[in-house]
Formats: sequence, structure tokens, C-alpha cells
Amino acid sequence: MLNRRQVIQLSLSSATVAAATSDAMGAVDPDERIIDTNSHLSRWPFRRLPLDHVERLVNKYRSIGITEAWVSSFDGLLHRDITSVNERLASQSKMFDELVPIGVVNLNLPDWESDLQRCCEHHQMFGVRLYPSYHNYELDDPMMLELLRRAAENGRLVQIVVALEDVRTQHSRLRVKDVDLSPLGEALSRVEGAVVQVLNARSVADRSNEWSKIDRLYFDTARVDSTDGVPQLVEQFHAGQVMLGTHAPLLIPEAALIRTHESGQLDVATLRAVLSGNAKKLMAGLAS
Amino acid sequence: MNRKQWNPGLPSPETLKRYRIWDSYFTPAHGHPGDDGSNALVADIKRALPAIQKGRFERACYFPHVGIGTTSDQNLEHLLRTRPDVVLGPMTRWPKFLIGMIQVNSNDVPASLKAIDRWLADGPMVGVYLPGGGPGARRCDDPALGPLIERVAELRGVIMVHTWFKTGGKRNPSESTPSELAVLAARYPEQTFVCAHAGGEWQRGLRAIRQHSNVHVETSGFDATAGFIEMAVREITAGRIIFGSHLPSRSLGTELAKVISADIGEEDKRLILGQNFRRLLRVDSK
Repeated sequence: MLNRRQVIQLSLSSATVAAATSDAMGAVDPDERIIDTNSHLSRWPFRRLPLDHVERLVNKYRSIGITEAWVSSFDGLLHRDITSVNERLASQSKMFDELVPIGVVNLNLPDWESDLQRCCEHHQMFGVRLYPSYHNYELDDPMMLELLRRAAENGRLVQIVVALEDVRTQHSRLRVKDVDLSPLGEALSRVEGAVVQVLNARSVADRSNEWSKIDRLYFDTARVDSTDGVPQLVEQFHAGQVMLGTHAPLLIPEAALIRTHESGQLDVATLRAVLSGNAKKLMAGLAS
Repeated sequence: MNRKQWNPGLPSPETLKRYRIWDSYFTPAHGHPGDDGSNALVADIKRALPAIQKGRFERACYFPHVGIGTTSDQNLEHLLRTRPDVVLGPMTRWPKFLIGMIQVNSNDVPASLKAIDRWLADGPMVGVYLPGGGPGARRCDDPALGPLIERVAELRGVIMVHTWFKTGGKRNPSESTPSELAVLAARYPEQTFVCAHAGGEWQRGLRAIRQHSNVHVETSGFDATAGFIEMAVREITAGRIIFGSHLPSRSLGTELAKVISADIGEEDKRLILGQNFRRLLRVDSK
């Protein structure tokens, strides 16, 4: 673990990196914040990633103008000692101003309620992240309603990860289906005040009629592909529901950034909202 | 703020221009060009143009159907077979931008041989594309494809093969894997093949073809998974990697970021983004 002095040294070297890359990456307006709502620390279980050191990840973010990242931990996928996973996540996140920790809760572990409580009260995390397919439950499970209820009571965001990897490229001994989102609308209707962000959904267009009316439901852009996929998502829902997510470090963070603007279809205000404004509003709303 | 000056994630326009990007895998209306032979194709090209312009692409290679049974639409097949001007429409409209490799029907080798003579020998197409699905698809290592491969080799054309390694096995028995392409490539060591999508699951894909120096890999068609280009450069060198965009069904972000964000040298990026493809096509090597 780095001490404070090492962190300061790293920050200085990061600034050098950012300065050196600013020409290559295009000018980054210092007033323009970019928030990545979907990121992870620690190791992807199946191979090493170029940015799976927290310092490298933060340096990358600085070099491309991402000023804040909501991070959870890949350890939360398979580890059963979720309490220590969240301890490490909180500890690492404190070393970098950019990192906002989002704790992991596994509803299939005994006493998950204490993990949620620790995330909220001890770590002061503003949200938790769920991996229903990896943790083997469906969204219509009664535990899910209970989690939503408790999160709402505490004013916390619940992020639901639909998928982490294309099912076609998964390890043959660990094949995980995408989460079935069909019970989500009903669940939200039953828990007043629950705030949910769906991460890594490839397409949610078939549910736009139902979900565009739920202003407590948000989406990220990490796996929304096609040249105009992000503008279509904004059009299908409303601009306030869509937030940048990169799914770094498994996916290359620049990919999600470029997709927000490559078609030229979003006006400046909407682009700003997707890149940071909606996330800032969401955080402010939860804090109030 | 002027949106035109704010392109987060992208290198500067000057840097992109220096890369001289030639896209080897442009897929407008890839499965069917539209009822009149080009309306869907033209619409998809227009849809992709903002990203193409933002990426400063110089040229892009697409894969026209030419009426030899690569779709299930009999009216379209007849139209394309009898009206070469319809096939040529997009290239006539964007002559300085589009390059073409015809989709061949591996289940109708005689018709494909005629089409190769018509479109490669006489121009303007530069190669053939072996699709992964539809009525024209067939495993690329099937010996029945021999005459087709040999004729393209005589004409010094490029052979682009759709490949995927899918967890759980093939959804479609006609789709080729990189291992099957490796078998084909071993039979024709003088011919250059392109392993489109690097097999999707690229760790296996790269291993499957790395011993075959006549196989290049194309970079599109799967999520922007980090580390792909780094492994590819390590295993087969940058000289055997060619950039593809898969626009508009994929995106500039997903596909270009794989290369521009990779931890490799600028010279390797230039090779991957355009120089290698130009070399395969025997145009300038500057």
C-alpha cells in the first residue's frame, strides 16, 4: 500500500503524464469534469489488464480528462469475504481524489445486511454494486426488494451489473448469463425512493416505454455500441437517465468517451449531462 | 464550449491525420444492401460518415454482394447479377473513399469463380470476403474452396475471413474459427489471409494463427477489451495487424480506441491503422 508521500509523488508524476499527453489526446477544458460511473479496482479474474494497478488506472483517467470514477472491486465477483473486499476498496480509494468507492453486496451470502450497513455507515459509501448473475439470484428475489428498501432508507444508489463480459468470450467453466432486467420496473414500483443504475446493458430499448417514466432509474454507456448508440439511448429514455460508464479497466476507457460524441448528434448541453452533469445531480440528490 | 473542439478520448485531428487511417472492415448494411441494391447501404454509409470524418479516415473497405447467392433475397440476387452498375453505385458515389472486396458464395464455387474474374480480374475489387453466416458461408478449411482460393491467389487478391471462437461452440456450423483458417493458410503459404475479428476471443485467436506468417489479424467486432493489441503485437508483431472499424454497427470509439490507446509505439500504430493494409493492397507504402 502506498503511503501519503508516495501518493504525492505519484500525483506529481501523473500531472506530468497528463501534460505530456494533452496534445495527443486533444485539449481538455479544465472546467469540464468527466465522471465515469462504472469502473473497478483490483484484478479481473481471468487475465491481467494493462490498467489493473490503481495508480495506472488513475494516471489514465488524468490523461484523458476523467476527473471522477465510481469504483467497485473485481474481487467482489468471486470472493466470499466481501467485508475485506470493501475494506480494501475503501482504503485504496482514499488515496486518490478521483476515486469514489461503491461497495459490493452479495445477496447470497449470510448476513449481507451487515455488509450494506458497513458500506453506508462505516465507509460512508454513497452506493453499492450488485452482480446478480455472478452471485446467482434474480431481480425478483425477495432479498432484492429488501436490499432496495434498505438502500432507499439510507439514501444510497444501487448499481446493478447486467454483464461483465460478452457471453461469447467467457471462460468455458464460468459461463454467466446476462441479468434478466424484466422484474426491475415492478421492483422499483414497490420500493419508494429506491435509486438504481443499470450498468453494462447492451440494449434496453425494448423496455424504454416502461422505464423512461421512472426518474429514479439510470443507465450507463459502457457497452452501448454502434456509432449512434448513445444518442439513441438518450432519445429512448431522457437525457437525465444516461451517464457515462467506461467499464475500465476491462474495457478501454477512451472507447466509451469517444462513443458519446462520435456521431455528432448530442448537443453540448446533453453531452455535458451524459459526461458528468447527470452523475453530479444524482450524487447531490442522494446527499440531500 | 464549442463541441467541435471537445472530443474527449480522441487524439488531436493532426495526430489522426498523421496515422493515415485505412479501414479494412467497413460494414454498412453488411447482410443486405437494400431492396434497390443500395438504399440501405448508402443510408448506413451516411450514418457512419460523422465518425469517419472525426476519425480522419482516408479510405474504407466494404464487402458488396454481387448476386451469387450470398443473401436469401432472390430479387436482390437477380438485380445485382444483372446490373453491375448497381453493385458499383456506392463506389461511383464515393470513388476516393470506398474500396471493395466481394462477398463470395463458398457453397457455389463456380459462380464465385466467375464473379472473381468479373470483379477482381477486371477490377475494381481488391479481394474477397468469406462470410460467417448466410447462404454463402462455409467452413473456410473445406477443401471444396480450393479453386476459389487458387484463383484469388493468381490475381494477388486479399482473402478476408470472418472468424470467431465462441464459448460453448459454434452457433452456426458454417462459421469459421481461427484454427480452421490456420489449416487453410498452411495449404496456401504464399497467399495472404486476414483473420477478421481475431477470432473474437482473441487470446485463443492469436494463438491459433501465430505460427502462420501469411495470416494477418483484423481488429474489429468485439468489445474494446484492454490488452488485445499489446498481446497481438507481442505474439505476431504489428506488421501483421490491420485496423477495422465495423462501422456503423460497431463504433469509432470501440474500434479505434483499441489501437490508439494501446501501450505500443507510434510507428506500430501507423502500421496497424493503415500502412499494413496498404501494403496488402499493393498501394503506396509511405
